[in-house]
Amino acid sequence: MALPMTECLLCHRENLQQITLWQLLNFQPVEPSLLCQTCLDRLEPIPLDQACRGCGRHCSTQLCPDCTRWETLTNFKNRAMFQYNELLRQFMSQYKFYGDYRLRQVFQGKIKREVKQIKADLVIPIPINPITYQQRGFNQVAGFLEGVKTTAALATIEHDKQLPQSAKNRQQRLQMKQPFKLNLSTEKFNKKRILLVDDIYTTGRTIRHAATLLLDAGASEVVGLTLAHG
Amino acid sequence: MMQVRQLFGRQVLADAISVTPDWQPKLLQRPSMMLTGQLVICQRCGQSTPKQTVRLPQGNYYCPHCFQLGRVTSNQNLWSLPEPNRFTKLTDSPLSWQGELTSAQNACSQEISAVFATGKTHLLWAVTGAGKTEMLFHGIEQALMKGLRVAIASPRVDVCLELAPRFQAAFTSIPQIVLYGEMNRPYAYKQLTICTTHQLLRFYHAFDVLVIDEVDAFPFAADPGLNYAAQQAKKESGALLYLTATPSKELSRLERQKRLSVSYLPARYHGHPLPEIKFKLTSHWRQSLMKHRLPVPVKKGLSQMISKHRKFLCFVPHIKDLAALASVLHTAFPELKTTTVYAGDPQRHEKVQRMRDGELDCLITTTILERGVTFSNIDVMVLGADDGVFSTAALVQIAGRAGRKSAYPDGLVAFFADRQTKIIQEARRQIRFVNQKARREGLIGVTHD
Ligand SMILES: [Zn+2]
Ligand SMILES: [Zn+2]
Ligand SMILES: [Zn+2]
Repeated sequence: MALPMTECLLCHRENLQQITLWQLLNFQPVEPSLLCQTCLDRLEPIPLDQACRGCGRHCSTQLCPDCTRWETLTNFKNRAMFQYNELLRQFMSQYKFYGDYRLRQVFQGKIKREVKQIKADLVIPIPINPITYQQRGFNQVAGFLEGVKTTAALATIEHDKQLPQSAKNRQQRLQMKQPFKLNLSTEKFNKKRILLVDDIYTTGRTIRHAATLLLDAGASEVVGLTLAHG
Repeated sequence: MMQVRQLFGRQVLADAISVTPDWQPKLLQRPSMMLTGQLVICQRCGQSTPKQTVRLPQGNYYCPHCFQLGRVTSNQNLWSLPEPNRFTKLTDSPLSWQGELTSAQNACSQEISAVFATGKTHLLWAVTGAGKTEMLFHGIEQALMKGLRVAIASPRVDVCLELAPRFQAAFTSIPQIVLYGEMNRPYAYKQLTICTTHQLLRFYHAFDVLVIDEVDAFPFAADPGLNYAAQQAKKESGALLYLTATPSKELSRLERQKRLSVSYLPARYHGHPLPEIKFKLTSHWRQSLMKHRLPVPVKKGLSQMISKHRKFLCFVPHIKDLAALASVLHTAFPELKTTTVYAGDPQRHEKVQRMRDGELDCLITTTILERGVTFSNIDVMVLGADDGVFSTAALVQIAGRAGRKSAYPDGLVAFFADRQTKIIQEARRQIRFVNQKARREGLIGVTHD
């Protein structure tokens, strides 16, 4: 049995979706996918038991070499859902740089489930700077979290002549000044377990800066959740 | 401040734009999207979209069809300046091409010149290997001499990149710009533009003469937005010429309704008929390959080609079929030098070159080599010709790879499939039809070398 024909939002091939007999007999809700099976098959999920406990990368040991080498933030760990591979690169490019807002829905279901499992007191999306927001018309992380109760606890700080993140090399990114400030008074965060959500974990500096701010404000624990690592 | 030359006949997306004061009043400003009750209609690509699927958080809408060219959002405008034709009128011909046209080509060429001069819309249906490009030269020569702005567009980058040097060589003194998605050079105002049909979306009433090559090719046939783009990119008074080897149903319908005039060139420039398609039924060919066996009719066909030392192209429907066929071929014919190629193959160009240089006997390929690429003396086979990836247009183009050069006008074209389909029948019928037409018109056997 097939749903009406649609087009895969990434590769534009026809996207025929099979409903399994199991789903039909059990009246399970069918989540229509916006990507075709071929594209979905190219995703590389990172299993929880094969991920670095520090940064969430796919890794056979408990802590990856990077997390062992760099001083780690106590009370912070990151969970990354997928490997940042060619398919996700294409996805992020179409979503973020070309601004195809429809793509926010692709991972909403999966992200919602992860958020639920993490059971945090506050869910905080990493903000983007107002100029980018104006141009893009949306915050890509907030788009993923549509339908999840979030708190806009962070705002960006404009440092002089800030290069866009993509134009910086690893060294420059690591030395980056604190790019965020708190939007709310500190007691909001006191003894709270906080979930920070971002799109991609690259060096981890962005999300760690945000985590530091929240831990300094009294949060008991900060957990990161990113769509991808790489 | 924006350079006025950047805006002549172009459409630029912005909230506001400023040019020198003398040009400011001439600026054309159009809202980039039209809103109806349920839909938003993009004024750049012409596509409409249900509002609720493309609403941004602040209440604007965007177009999901043409964002590769920079996203159209409903709060922006499209700005342009009317095309002023800032080109010198010429008294001497800029055409440096020395070749000669056959009398059939010449007849089409004259019809084309008349279309360009009168600003009509016209279709040139010329078989694969008819010499379409050369038939354009005289019409374009006259247009350029009058100071008109000319564009040649194709849905395929490959075709644009092949056409550009040919036009540069034919009109050496005319400044030319080539535009396509992945290029790095910026846009410049030139009298002759060669671009992908997608790039036409950036023009607004610019061209006096617009030629669209390969109109049957994906994605033009499938994408009504690009048709809209052609209408927008040419001036209202401008001429529009479609070139095709396999007219789509829509183009044929317009012709029957007398809404589109058509020139036919049913014969190749060398005066030999198109090789007709031989069709053989197979039984579960894919399963045979899995069991490491060549289907009997395929093996028979191949043995014949190989015993005659023919070079050949082997088309398969999908990337996953490439390796299967290659491995079975290798076992059945260990002497045969073969390789596989597909669209995303990083070594695509080298492999095609090796085939051209005669280093390979057989190239196993997906539909990417269906057009544009010419080999001088080749046979063609298609395995799984009934697969949905092969349209009638694609099959006619594939068959058209054989017998292109006058020194080797023959070539075997063999299709294999588990069933005969309407699409296969239509491709066979089209080729027989043009050969009959060419014979009736006395175009076959009149050889030109
Ligand atoms: Zn897809
Ligand atoms: Zn780590
Ligand atoms: Zn559009």
